[in-house]
Amino acid sequence: MRLSTLSFYNNSLAAMQLQSSSLAKLQNQVALGRRVQTPADDPIATAHILELERAQSESAQLAKNSTLARNRLNLEEQSLADVGTILTRVRELTLQASNIGTLSDSDRRSIATELSSRLAELQDVANRQDGGGEYLFAGFSSLTKPFAGGGDASVRYVADQGSRLLQISSTQRIADSHSGFDVFMNVPQGNGTFFTAGSASNTGSGVIDVGALVDRSSWVPGSYTIAFSSPSQWEITDGAVPANVLASGTYTAGEPIEFNAVRVTISGTPAAGDTFSVGSARAEDIFSTISQIADALRQPADSPAANARLASVLQGSLQQLDQASDHVLRIRAEVGARLSTIDSTDDSRAALDVDLASALSDLRDLDYAQAITRMNQQLVGLQAAQLSYSKISQLSLFNYLR
Amino acid sequence: MADLLNTSISGLLAFQRALDTTSHNIANANTVGYSRQLPDFVTRQAQQAGSGWVGNGVDVSTIRRAYDDFLASQARTSSSQYHQSNTYATQAERINNLLGDSGTGLSASLQNFVNALHSVADSPTSIPARQTLLSQAQTLVDRMNSYDSSLRSFESQVNGSLEREAATITTLARNLAQLNEQISGAYAQSRQPPNDLLDQRDRLIDELSTHLNVNVVMQEDYSANIFVGNGQPLVVGRTHSTMAATPDAFDPTRKSISILSAQGAVEIQSTLSGGTLGGMLEFRTQMLDPARNTLGLLSVSLTEVMNQQHAAGMDLDGALGGEFFSIGGVEVQASSNNSGTAGAVVTRIPGSAGTLTTHDYLLVSTSGGWNLRRLDNGATIPMTGSGTATDPFLAEGLSIVVSGTPGMADQLLLKPTAAAVSGLQTLITDPARIAAAAPIVSAAAAGNTGSGVISQGEVLDAGHAQLRSPVRIEFTSATSYTIGTDPTVYTYEAGADIDVNGWRVTISGSPAAGDSFTVENNLTGSGDNRNALKLADVLLQPVMNQGKTSLNAGVGAFLGDVGVKTNQMQVARDAQKVVADEASSALQSVAGVNLDEEAANLIRYQQAYMAMSQMIRVADTLFQSILQAVRG
Repeated sequence: MRLSTLSFYNNSLAAMQLQSSSLAKLQNQVALGRRVQTPADDPIATAHILELERAQSESAQLAKNSTLARNRLNLEEQSLADVGTILTRVRELTLQASNIGTLSDSDRRSIATELSSRLAELQDVANRQDGGGEYLFAGFSSLTKPFAGGGDASVRYVADQGSRLLQISSTQRIADSHSGFDVFMNVPQGNGTFFTAGSASNTGSGVIDVGALVDRSSWVPGSYTIAFSSPSQWEITDGAVPANVLASGTYTAGEPIEFNAVRVTISGTPAAGDTFSVGSARAEDIFSTISQIADALRQPADSPAANARLASVLQGSLQQLDQASDHVLRIRAEVGARLSTIDSTDDSRAALDVDLASALSDLRDLDYAQAITRMNQQLVGLQAAQLSYSKISQLSLFNYLR
Repeated sequence: MADLLNTSISGLLAFQRALDTTSHNIANANTVGYSRQLPDFVTRQAQQAGSGWVGNGVDVSTIRRAYDDFLASQARTSSSQYHQSNTYATQAERINNLLGDSGTGLSASLQNFVNALHSVADSPTSIPARQTLLSQAQTLVDRMNSYDSSLRSFESQVNGSLEREAATITTLARNLAQLNEQISGAYAQSRQPPNDLLDQRDRLIDELSTHLNVNVVMQEDYSANIFVGNGQPLVVGRTHSTMAATPDAFDPTRKSISILSAQGAVEIQSTLSGGTLGGMLEFRTQMLDPARNTLGLLSVSLTEVMNQQHAAGMDLDGALGGEFFSIGGVEVQASSNNSGTAGAVVTRIPGSAGTLTTHDYLLVSTSGGWNLRRLDNGATIPMTGSGTATDPFLAEGLSIVVSGTPGMADQLLLKPTAAAVSGLQTLITDPARIAAAAPIVSAAAAGNTGSGVISQGEVLDAGHAQLRSPVRIEFTSATSYTIGTDPTVYTYEAGADIDVNGWRVTISGSPAAGDSFTVENNLTGSGDNRNALKLADVLLQPVMNQGKTSLNAGVGAFLGDVGVKTNQMQVARDAQKVVADEASSALQSVAGVNLDEEAANLIRYQQAYMAMSQMIRVADTLFQSILQAVRG
């Protein structure tokens, strides 16, 4: 084919320009270490890269959320441990006070005084704030002091039952606290099914124990009264109007009475007209449990009836304290479970982060070995083009027209 | 003897002409558009002598231009295509680079916003966390706005280029008309082709082809008629038309291309292709408009989901959350060619982010009433309703209320999302106004004996007047309950929705008789993060494209689309470049000057010329010898 001189120059130049522009692009890639710099470089990879970068950014935020949740749960765990310590001390004091015969009224009053200060301490723990000034046990109302009252008045819960969830993985949320209602207020009464109590107006020395449930499935919730018509005759009625008599019998101290799948034992000497109650368990807050003990200890135990009342209250309270301890332990176990969930999501997130980083690198980053090999090829190509251009362009017939 | 001299002189003159031509070729070896010229030698009419026909020498009949119209037209077509894809690719690369930087890009801004929502969810009472959310929202809005204003400036640059293109094409057309006149004049005078003028003319046509695709029809007198588009004449003989960038019928700020004639402007934009002009037009319709609409749709979807969820929340002061972002409305443009007075008010149907599209629509008045068509492909879109304020037309996520009296075939252009970003703003400026909490809170009564658990509750209708009034749900038995003061006894079903006063709760487990639950105002719930979590959640939900695409995926698809188009055009450009170069080489191989060839010709003609000179000397010698013989 005929080749015009002009197109020889143009073509050679264009070829060299093409080589240097690919070289410049390669050089840029090598300098930045990135293969994909704009969407057009690899449109399909671009969408993946965006998603991976988004996932990385999300993962970093989830890690922050998770750290925060862990800190808060650790703080709650610490507070619950403190609650446990207080309850243990309260139980010791109550046990100590249970030796009714060996203690004087003033001994009991000093125990009551200590119980009151424990109660105040417990309220302080329940009103504890985190570093940001939020109350730990206030549910959503985290800027409201959750436990009001105290001192002579009873302690009231004025916050809500909300519990804040934090996102710790793209699919998992975890509560960063328990509300004060859950921890302190909603403790099951008695043994969780029923409770027993002696009437405050009893004149005899009969004491009812905490009882036991013989057969849970036969228990009919309700409120029942064991009334003594004489020191030796008892009768059990339900709460209906007019009351139905469920059972009656002759009293023998220490012999269990069974009705409605409940077995209770009354000991001591009840007087005629004394009553004992067995009722469906509802909830009792820890504060009233403690303040009830203190209140009972402040009453003088100067008669068999008063002794019996005190013994009855202390027995019920010990059971209630155990319930409270169990309840707090159960909540601590929940906190522990949440912390371990956070740990395991952290582990899987760490693994995911590594995957994300490597996938991102595969898509976006440059394979240096390949790029540098290509660059060398291009360099050789460009040099060859330059050399051949300078050689060929010297060839001209005019050189010989002399 | 005289013949010998005459013959020699004819050769001398012919080779002189040939040497002139060679010299002209060598001189123009580097002139772009120059076609090499060749002397056509013809033998002179021979003389009859007794012994036969005696040759009489040589003539140069014409100086021929080495040129091939077919190759030239191929070269022009491919150059026109190359310039179209080159222009498109160059413009596309600008959008590509604008959107490409992922570190500061849209996707990152959106995720940072979601992350900031999580930070508020982590610590709803923290003002710094809320402030961070507001600044991330502002960053996101700024990012959208800066992309949109960049795209707008591209649009005005396209308008500017169209004006320049039209002016350049008109100038080229004028010059071509003048050259046509000179060429036909020169030809009429000499009956020989004016080669250098033809080269000039062809070069102008080549240049015109880089601006748009043209159709060239050669005339007998060597003049060229040039047509564009569907055969609109640009140059006919010595007359030419004017091409101009005129205001678009719908949008005066947008330029379209028209041919001006005595009858007025005729818009020919849709028929044009090729060259830098075609590339600009294609870039505008294929890439720029969709990009703006897509960005608009993204911001509409963001605003919609964010506002809807934010309104269902409660801020730090206990007030219900209002709108978080504001957004631009639907643009309606009436054609300037409309004969009637029809107008339309078009709004987006609330909650329609999934049905909105990135298309623009034409509302056309027909004998059968209003007709909605897609602008890009003309497909008819079914509408429901009658177009009145009480019963608006509904289609594609739009609610259309028409007014005025339309003339026949009057047109209204609807742009559902193009103007959205320009109205995008953060409406919340006070960090306490961020509605991170839910307005209601549920609780179980202390001492419930059953195992019933109430859900935290969600807001269905933030506008309900009784939304935050306290309501007590009381179980009259293990299987039935009453709600508030309503005497109706409902049958309990674990996990079933209980919808009251614009909120919904579910109760699960086994509640016992006498158990109760309350739902009430969450006024003190400053530590509540439920709405913040929901906000973070809805931004990741698939809300666009019939509920198939999340905002993030939408951003990814948008960038992917820009990338794919840019990449396609880059590939097309490189391929067209090869084709154009080959076509140009093919023409050059015919028309171009090769210096070696000219050197060879030089030697050839020089030697012929010297031989002819020698012949004159021989003639002289012969003549002298006769003279000597006569002199004796």
